[in-house]
Amino acid sequence: MTCTRAPVTVSHYYPLVTNSVLTTRLCSDIVLHVHPPSPFGFAGGSTGVNPPALGVGMSTDDELAADISGPTVPRMILGNQLHRFREAASISPDRAGYEIRASRSKISRMENGRVGFKERDVADLLDLYGVTDEETRAGLMMLARQANAPGWWSKYGGDIMTDWFEEYLGLEAAASVIRAFELQFVHGLLQTEAYARAVTLLGNTSAPAEEIDRRVGLRLKRQDLLASSRPPQVWVVIDEGALRRPVGGRAVMRAQLNRLIEVAGLRHVTIQVVPFSRGGHAAAGGSFTVLRFGEDDVPDVVYIEQLTSALYLDKREDVDHYLEVMNHLSTEALTPVQTAQFLAGIIKET
Amino acid sequence: MTEEHSPTYSDPEQRIAGTAIDTTVPHSARIWNYWLGGKDNYEIDRVAGDQFSGIYPGIVDIARADRAFLGRVIRFLAGEAGVRQFLDVGTGLPTADNTHQVAQRVAPESRIVYVDNDPLVLAHARALLTSSEQGSTSYVDADMRDAGKVLREAAEWLDLTQPVALTFMGVLGHVVDHDEARSIVAGLLEGLPSGSYLSINDSVNTSEALEEALRVYEASGAVPYRTRTPEQFAGYFEGLELVEPGVVNVDDWRPDPDAPRGPQIPQLGAVGRKP
Repeated sequence: MTCTRAPVTVSHYYPLVTNSVLTTRLCSDIVLHVHPPSPFGFAGGSTGVNPPALGVGMSTDDELAADISGPTVPRMILGNQLHRFREAASISPDRAGYEIRASRSKISRMENGRVGFKERDVADLLDLYGVTDEETRAGLMMLARQANAPGWWSKYGGDIMTDWFEEYLGLEAAASVIRAFELQFVHGLLQTEAYARAVTLLGNTSAPAEEIDRRVGLRLKRQDLLASSRPPQVWVVIDEGALRRPVGGRAVMRAQLNRLIEVAGLRHVTIQVVPFSRGGHAAAGGSFTVLRFGEDDVPDVVYIEQLTSALYLDKREDVDHYLEVMNHLSTEALTPVQTAQFLAGIIKET
Repeated sequence: MTEEHSPTYSDPEQRIAGTAIDTTVPHSARIWNYWLGGKDNYEIDRVAGDQFSGIYPGIVDIARADRAFLGRVIRFLAGEAGVRQFLDVGTGLPTADNTHQVAQRVAPESRIVYVDNDPLVLAHARALLTSSEQGSTSYVDADMRDAGKVLREAAEWLDLTQPVALTFMGVLGHVVDHDEARSIVAGLLEGLPSGSYLSINDSVNTSEALEEALRVYEASGAVPYRTRTPEQFAGYFEGLELVEPGVVNVDDWRPDPDAPRGPQIPQLGAVGRKP
């Protein structure tokens, strides 16, 4: 079989990003295979209620990676395909939006893989774009179903899981590179349980113990990403202030600092400290995260968390600005080797 | 940094990474990243990159052909030539198939030292060019003109009594003076034992459009890049045994049989062995 038209050719931009879910050429002979997330995450494997495989040739590793990554990867792949088909048919986003009773920005969000897809919308769009090949359509409809599968995080309950944070979890799990600047706290992916509990208590003073447990559980579950078979590259720049503030007390903080040294030893994790001695630095605004995805066409997303919501920026000029600040921070900060020495020094004093 | 909590860095290499990212002029590594379809570039680089390709559209072919040449050369060196140590001068921003990835795919135990003096490139390399478990990747923050420093620091990771593959992929043009470029190559080769390899690719002055694009580029305040004559290029390999097919257009250096041929580009490449 050959690709009929508009194949997604994905080349990995960053090294060591080998999520084969994304490398797959998607065309009429789809060799893509994405499970809905297993409730047991990567550790439990993909036994249980998986749908029929959409194609062949994925190893167990791939299946586990798909479990961890949730619905965002199929969303991005499907969105990318729809974008290409729309461009190939020379149809404007407005026209496409009209066809499915939605706005131009909805089309843009769909094409960027940021939302789930109604199967009817996908079918209507494919009609509009003149995609008639049955096999292609069947593959894309299968993707649409997978793109709507709940992520592993959905079981944590609406009281602690807001839409805006759920979106972040999907993006984080799908990212090939996660770059974060942390001003106040240690990044969630790098926290110990005790530290995570202390931070959670700070933000939810009146919450019942059961809710705190679930919030902490969710945060720790996110960290499965680091132990997955195809982890993203995690590159965190931390302000010295976040290391000096004894969140949870000195013992908790000391254990957290030791965790940082330990996790920095992972090949896919890089930690750099911006010491006080660097004076004022480039990120006057505060903490932020830049997520990069393996697909060439999917733009970086800047994530800025606020108290009751979050900002997601993916316009090129916004991303440029934050990337520039992140790059400044990375070059201002201590190198990874210096950071390890620096952390050891702080531990002695904590 | 206060004395109480800071380690002191007596070794000059332990100093804090530089902060000299100038975002007011286009940046060579970021423009190459743009031409290669990467995402690590800013508006100023895209404008400069588009201006360049407006005058000389072949630059995008050069960018791709260079990467493909690097891949074939490193595969040859790690494979047929059996080299396990690589000294890659002029790292650039990470892209697909960087030197260590290609080498370690053939021989996972390969050890790679990347040399660059651009703080942005170094920060990315340290974070993202991570080695296989069996091999190593490390980074030397040095100007390639300082052969003594490059060799001294590379020696922490490489056994310089064993063959090393020394590569300059599209970087020697940054040295404006050709004699100086030659002495850089010779100086580094001198520190490597018999059986070591040299590989270079670079632009030659056979395209007036490329020369014009480079003039405009230089006028924008960017770090200049100079082409050489084909004879000057071949001169880098004087005293070495050229590996077949010798000094050729990069696309003609042991091409993959099924690879599509790009348009003709003024870009030479070669591999030589130190006797």
